[in-house]
Amino acid sequence: MALNSIIAFIELEMRRLRTNRMELYTRVVQPILWLALFGPIISQTRAIEIPGVNYESFIMPGILIQSIVFVSMFYGLTIIWESESGILKKLLTIPISRESIIIGRSSASIARALFQMAIIIPVSYLVGVRVDLNPLFILLSIFIVFLTSMGFSSLSIFIASFMRTRERFMGLGQAITLPLFFASNALYPINVMPPIIREIASFNPLSYSVDSLRDLLILGNFNILNDVIFLLLFNFACIFLASIRFNKIAE
Amino acid sequence: MDSFFAIEVSGLTKVYNNSFTALNGVDLEVHQGEVFSLLGPNGAGKTTLMRILTTQIKPSSGVAKVFGYDVLTQGSKVREIIGYVPQEFSVWTDLTAYENLRVYSRLYNINDKRKIYELLDFMDLSDFSNKTVKTFSGGMIRRLEIACALLTEPKVLFLDEPTIGLDPAARQNVWKRLKGLNDEKGITIFFNTHYIEEAELYSKRVAIINKGKVIKVGKVEELKKDLGFEVISLRVGNVEKALAILNSFSKKVSHNGKVIDLFVSDAEAMIAKVIKALENEGVEVERASIHKPTLEEVFISQVKKEETIRGKISEIRNIRRAVRRG
Repeated sequence: MALNSIIAFIELEMRRLRTNRMELYTRVVQPILWLALFGPIISQTRAIEIPGVNYESFIMPGILIQSIVFVSMFYGLTIIWESESGILKKLLTIPISRESIIIGRSSASIARALFQMAIIIPVSYLVGVRVDLNPLFILLSIFIVFLTSMGFSSLSIFIASFMRTRERFMGLGQAITLPLFFASNALYPINVMPPIIREIASFNPLSYSVDSLRDLLILGNFNILNDVIFLLLFNFACIFLASIRFNKIAE
Repeated sequence: MDSFFAIEVSGLTKVYNNSFTALNGVDLEVHQGEVFSLLGPNGAGKTTLMRILTTQIKPSSGVAKVFGYDVLTQGSKVREIIGYVPQEFSVWTDLTAYENLRVYSRLYNINDKRKIYELLDFMDLSDFSNKTVKTFSGGMIRRLEIACALLTEPKVLFLDEPTIGLDPAARQNVWKRLKGLNDEKGITIFFNTHYIEEAELYSKRVAIINKGKVIKVGKVEELKKDLGFEVISLRVGNVEKALAILNSFSKKVSHNGKVIDLFVSDAEAMIAKVIKALENEGVEVERASIHKPTLEEVFISQVKKEETIRGKISEIRNIRRAVRRG
């Protein structure tokens, strides 16, 4: 049953994106700036040296994950909008479980994430990032991207259940996403951080997504088991919490 | 199969956040194949009741069954046999009519494109199937929503204020299709409305609800009869003499100039006798007419009876909040 709703919601997302194409393009402006401006500049100052890879390559997985997480973290807005219209009410009367709705809706954010991946990886090639194009690596990367977008989207639905208005949600979303990004290994290795931030970063799911993508796409190795386990746990927890709170959104 | 009601509700209550009582002991029975309306002012509890019946929210106490299935313990069974159109938009306005039906049919796990085209045709939307819903009129959106609710061929259709905000022609058009569904396929229709004429025109039976309680239920005709009066208005030549005669027909007679109002229980059966009696005594009857109460008069007499002055802002705010939620 969940598979059924996953397909349905992915189709919904794809069809909506087709009519709102502009959104897709504007969403990639920011990551391209990070890659094309921030990366080369920091690289030239040699402020952060990573043995074995150039700085642009180091941050590419971080920028990719960041852009996916930002989009996913605002997925709750859709749910708030739908609870203000009658769509959510209607969905609750369809013979699928609440969990299936959460899983379906949050997994549908893969549609946007894949599009971002398809733009950001080629752009990064232009600034000198060499991605390992082994199909297995690419496939696993897509899996990581899927776990990332799904986990953060369901987290976003969970958060939305407490906010209930778009304005409050926007405020909190802004307040969460940037710290999440900076307190991760997206832009610099964890060991250069102050100890407290290092602790936070080691519980930050974003770090695990970045770490595994870096292993797969840049370093070309399979050391991702720990990351995948952590991300799976993160997904289970968020989907569980969002499902419990989903009834509250409906009321 | 026919041994149970389409909808059966007893002792149903719903209290929001331990503070606002939206439903206060509702009992209701809706027969299979019936068109039934729940009529009440805004904030009366109509939407809350419908949301409980469609398994969206749980009642605080009491029992509600749809075709024998308990909404609390057999929610998934209930969801399989109902169609539902909420008061607010339930379609994605940035998709086309076809796409909306397609997404809903996937969610219902129906992979039959013919069904989609059939419904578009039935709802008179075939020419617009590839237009985005944004460009639709209110009536077209409603018809599309009803089409979405019909994908599973439901046994009961729940409609929350189905024609709110529609112009009279669009309203009639929507009801033409709904009537068709009821007549041809025997689908039970349960709808909420605060438009009295809508309840009167389209439903077989009506429940009047106010402040979370059903205060009257029955056939439209019966409800009107319960009010206890129909009026025979007569314009006569000799008022004094006429009044003396008419007093034997009814306890309640009033007059205004040359016009006399005679309150009776069945005006059509009485009018000939009354006129004959008057003319036998030499009273000339210049004009005669019958006035029957409308459902509106029934409604107002029932609701006003209960209405106290509730102008307090805090209470209005409470109701609004609950309505928005419920």
